Amino acid sequence: MATTVVVLGLSLTACGGNLTSGGSTDSDSGTKGTIKLGMLTPLSGSSAAIGPNMRHGAQLSVDEINAKGGVDGRKLELTVEDEACDPKTAAAGAAKLVSAGIDISVGGYCSSATLPTLSIFNKANIPVIIPVANSTDLVAQKLPNVFLINGTGIQQAQAASQFLKDQGATGVALLDDNTSYSTDIAKRTEQDLKSLGVKVAGHQSVTAGESDYSGAVNAVIRAKADFVYWTGYYQEGGLIIKQLKAAGYQGKFMVADGSVDPKLIEIAGQRNAQGVFATMTQTPQTVPGGAAWAKKYKAKFGSAPGPYSTQAYDAVRVAAEAVRESGSTDGQAVIKALEAIDDFEIFSGSLKFTSEHTLIEGGFHILVVKGNGFTLNK
Amino acid sequence: MNHFIQLVLDGLFVGSFYALVALGYSMVYGIIKLLNFAHGDIYMLGAFAGFTVLSVAAGALGSGIAALVVVMLIAMVATGSLGIVLERVAYRPLRNAPRLSVLITAIGASFALEYGVAVAFGPNPEVYTLEVGNGALNIAGARLSDAQLAMMVIAVALMVALDTLVRKTRSGRAMRAIAQDPKACLLMGIKVDNVISRTFFIGSALAGAAGVMAGAYYGKIDFLMGFIIGLKAFTAAVIGGIGNLRGAMLGAIVLGLLESFGVAFFGSEWRDVFAFGFLILFLTVRPTGLLGERVTERV
Repeated sequence: MATTVVVLGLSLTACGGNLTSGGSTDSDSGTKGTIKLGMLTPLSGSSAAIGPNMRHGAQLSVDEINAKGGVDGRKLELTVEDEACDPKTAAAGAAKLVSAGIDISVGGYCSSATLPTLSIFNKANIPVIIPVANSTDLVAQKLPNVFLINGTGIQQAQAASQFLKDQGATGVALLDDNTSYSTDIAKRTEQDLKSLGVKVAGHQSVTAGESDYSGAVNAVIRAKADFVYWTGYYQEGGLIIKQLKAAGYQGKFMVADGSVDPKLIEIAGQRNAQGVFATMTQTPQTVPGGAAWAKKYKAKFGSAPGPYSTQAYDAVRVAAEAVRESGSTDGQAVIKALEAIDDFEIFSGSLKFTSEHTLIEGGFHILVVKGNGFTLNK
Repeated sequence: MNHFIQLVLDGLFVGSFYALVALGYSMVYGIIKLLNFAHGDIYMLGAFAGFTVLSVAAGALGSGIAALVVVMLIAMVATGSLGIVLERVAYRPLRNAPRLSVLITAIGASFALEYGVAVAFGPNPEVYTLEVGNGALNIAGARLSDAQLAMMVIAVALMVALDTLVRKTRSGRAMRAIAQDPKACLLMGIKVDNVISRTFFIGSALAGAAGVMAGAYYGKIDFLMGFIIGLKAFTAAVIGGIGNLRGAMLGAIVLGLLESFGVAFFGSEWRDVFAFGFLILFLTVRPTGLLGERVTERV
């Protein structure tokens, strides 16, 4: 209750700022000066652990490009605002970025928090390259300025269903956490599994932020599921794995990319987490050339890159490429350049957008927990 | 049939956590009519205090229930003391201010505690290393793990101790007297401030104990963990009759069972809808709660 009251206040004042100053700045910066990039990422709240991964990944990219003389002689500059994985905080952050005069947005982690920022950026004629958030809701409004460089929920669900079928699953229980990202994948997977002829043994939504998931655990056990697919984030995922094992669940486990974090294994307990599968886009550990990149990252920030460091790094590179191609930071020109990008190498492979502004290739891999980390499943 | 027993056990287990937190809510409300919205965060602080003790002295303590009890006692002293500080700093200066000001201070204190811990420990969830038994009991086909049983026994022991304290001791009589009429107590020579401090100590210590239990059982703690349980404990206190201690325990058990059965019949996403739906129902139909006659007397 407390959170709502204060955050609402923040978003109201921030929206006020947006109405008066939104969109007035980008025409001045159309041709000269620094290229201003803005990033919304969780720095507080339940997903605060991800913020530094994304911020450092993007900063590494900015520094590399600047060291090579920038784009057309113009330096890049990154401004980071908190999205807190909360729609109200994110909308306030977006309004702040707009009034700071950013040219391109390269942020967005939680889909539910990213969604309300899109129209704010759209009104200010700012292209948005979303590195992480991947709910199909994000492109459902068909806003021309929105681009996803992470695989979508549809692609993730396809990868998951195919893998579940290949594993010979006979009853899949789907668990989601009621957020846009999570329910999107769970629903799509349910459809895909049905069309592949795999039986779905129930679908439960739990509330994030609680500790006791005995309700969902009981439902899974009663449905006699032999595979559980959790599509939410790692905090709850770890607890659910632990509680299912404690309740005597014998089947297998898979989690979606929001749960790919070493903390999942720590929370679930290393013994419980062994052999848990995950659907995931690239991490530095799974892509060729990733190790050298991770070394550079570690030298600069003192910590190893985490999930989504690479995607944030790529978002900045894609933004720079679009500015280089269009020769300006005008929103419309950049959007045209983004739509025209073909065969630009990013970590997940070669980048080309579909007409919906999502990646043509999702690039989802299956990872598996071994020891205290995720490795590629072979 | 075994499914039914499983649901009852799950409900009782969750209810015993709610009860420990709800008692503090109810005690503070009973004595100074303050809804201490920072109370859930005291629970969170208890979890972190226990975590700190474990990371400093994990080797010396070993594992198992004995270690849990030691960690819990240390955390209880820590959160109890913090409860006293909280009352001194945030609530006592406003004792004669309008009710709303105190409520706002409580919300402010809640934020200060949450984000203070986020700064001190980082926003990442932390993981308890303590293991409390691996076995499980089979009760007519339903499953109750050793850890769950241990937690429930500890919770009941703490509740019985509190109940005895309030009903049988001088100190408890002073608390009940202040709940009736603080001004008259002052005239009778009771040190009202001391008794209020003591109430905050006991309530916060119980919440701290629940925090350590949650850490040890669920394994994961984070700085926002107190928020939802704070609201649930408040709900339990209202269902039982806020200000009434046995009511708080009863309300917590009822809430735990309601959630357990609600989830089983309607699905997990209905858990909070159910809990807070009942809060609204009780506030409209029977605002004094199940055992709340005492409140009516006062009003």
